[in-house]
Amino acid sequence: MADITLDNLVKKFGRQTAVDHLNLSIKDKEFVAILGPSGCGKTTIMNMISGLLNPDSGQVRFDGKVMNKVPPGKRGVGFVFQNYAIFTYMSVYDNIAFGLKVNKIPPSTIDKEVKAVAELLQVDHLLEMNAGKLSVNDMQKVALGRSMVTKPQIFLLDEPLSNLDAALRSKMRAELKKIQQELGQTTIYVTHDQVEAMSLSGKIAVMNFAVLQQYDTPHNIYNHPVNMFVANFIGSPTINFVEATFQSGELILDDFQGFHFPLSSATANQIQTKLKSDKVVIGIRPEHVKVTNGKNGGNSDIKAEIVNYELLGARTVLYMHPSMNTENIIKSTMPSDFKAKNGNFASLTFEEQHLYVFDKESTELVWRTEATWHQSA
Amino acid sequence: MQQELYIRILKYCLILLITAIFFFPLYWTLTMVFKSYHEWSTAHGAAIHWWPTHFNFDNITYLFQRQTQHSPLAATATRPLINSIIVSFTGTALAVVLGVLAAYGVSRYKVKKEFPIMLLTLRMFPPVAVLIPLMIMWAFLRFTDTWYGLTLVYGLVTLPFAVWLMLTFFDEIPNELTEAAIVDGCTNWQAFQKVILPLAKGGIASTALFCFILNWSDFAVALSLTTRNMKTVPVYLNMLQTAFEGEQYGPKAALGIIAVIVPVVFGIAIQKYLVRGLTFGAIKK
Repeated sequence: MADITLDNLVKKFGRQTAVDHLNLSIKDKEFVAILGPSGCGKTTIMNMISGLLNPDSGQVRFDGKVMNKVPPGKRGVGFVFQNYAIFTYMSVYDNIAFGLKVNKIPPSTIDKEVKAVAELLQVDHLLEMNAGKLSVNDMQKVALGRSMVTKPQIFLLDEPLSNLDAALRSKMRAELKKIQQELGQTTIYVTHDQVEAMSLSGKIAVMNFAVLQQYDTPHNIYNHPVNMFVANFIGSPTINFVEATFQSGELILDDFQGFHFPLSSATANQIQTKLKSDKVVIGIRPEHVKVTNGKNGGNSDIKAEIVNYELLGARTVLYMHPSMNTENIIKSTMPSDFKAKNGNFASLTFEEQHLYVFDKESTELVWRTEATWHQSA
Repeated sequence: MQQELYIRILKYCLILLITAIFFFPLYWTLTMVFKSYHEWSTAHGAAIHWWPTHFNFDNITYLFQRQTQHSPLAATATRPLINSIIVSFTGTALAVVLGVLAAYGVSRYKVKKEFPIMLLTLRMFPPVAVLIPLMIMWAFLRFTDTWYGLTLVYGLVTLPFAVWLMLTFFDEIPNELTEAAIVDGCTNWQAFQKVILPLAKGGIASTALFCFILNWSDFAVALSLTTRNMKTVPVYLNMLQTAFEGEQYGPKAALGIIAVIVPVVFGIAIQKYLVRGLTFGAIKK
């Protein structure tokens, strides 16, 4: 059993605030990803949970017990570092056995445990090898094994896959998930890769500039981002933002020469009650922007010029300028049979149910259809 | 093509010339060891002997023979050699032990960025500058002419170098290694001892050799802090002259060669770590 509670954690380095009043509660056996751009305080959070750093204020609690004063070695956490921190001058065996030896476990038990872990990670044939000579993939596994062998209740993984190439990464992702399900530790996983976060975790904590933006399931993070930062950070290609004015139950799209986008009265009412000024930014995911070729094609008056496109196999990503406006770029993902040509004009359509409406000033989400909301467990 | 060949030949000639200039003193010293008295002295005319005609070991035996007719020396070279070995090694050990610990502390904990530079400026002035006050202090403490008196000075004088050198090595070792060991249950000291020290071996070896060479070749400090018993090789070397025979160039050459052997042997002994140590900073991962 190990659930983790972070209560009002603050950590400053000089004048720089690395973590600002962070509250997070992680249930036993949960897999949580901390996601955010570089330098947003992700690693600092991990260091405070493991005890390598002391918070300036606030509490770290495991199962309700305050851990602030407990030294790292006694917290029962396993830590896998981004650069693996492999002891290169030791054999693989000694690397994995390190934690057990330090804790003075009898050699016969050490032998058994090391071999069991090595087998689980499929490095049992490498045990006698010098750890410095391993491939990156195997190093990663040994680093994992070294923190697993002490059977920690909590597993902290700091960008463990960022040094691997793409193919290996997806393979290790699957293995990580499998191992976590088998061992059932509470796992916190730091990454700046949204795909890793979305695919691995039960919950995602999105960080920006030391502040927790949103803590929810991957589904809700994607479909109900609390603000423009989260909406923009999750999703590939990134969400389209279009500046608009909310006026008498309609959205006037400033980026599309004042095109009037009608709203249902229920939606308009909901927006009306929440909005402080009439300036909004609407977000539309690229997969929800439908494109029809030709200036007069389709039934929409929203025109754009195709400036670039990428053939990705299963789909084609289009990059378009709204006509008479070259500052904004609208992305759309279309089926791969879509015939794209640079310079061609196209008509865009999108539906009300796919819109994200943000307050322009506060960047917070004002309206999103309730249909996509999943109550998290 | 022709021109390229000429340039090549010229290049190699130059290299050969420079090598010859650098190696000449070593060649001259080495051959002088085996020359007889009338070959290295000018007492019998100034003829230059490029190679010993009567190959012999007189110069070496002269150093270690006491109070014979041919050796008017008050003391043999045995004692200074032993002295030099003792004070150089203990001084080096002192500098390396303190230097390694200090450098690790500076590298891992919050210390002002300027600290390493400040440290080096300690060594910017020549030791001679503080020699007189040091002599008085040491005399007051009764440290003159003792091995620990010299050890202490040697250790402290080379300490800034040791810290500076070790710092560059420790800075290259990622902090995550220490953190990983600590999360696995090590104390700070255990992490240092089990994880960092084995990785820093190369650095320690090169630091030790560097300090040793500095201590081994010191003349000024040893000259002013020793009187009779603790004379080191450089001081003794300077004394190899008699009123009757003048400068004893032959025995001096012999002792010079012997003095070269010690650091070379030390260097070879730690060579395994040294090569890695010296290239340590050169490779960026």
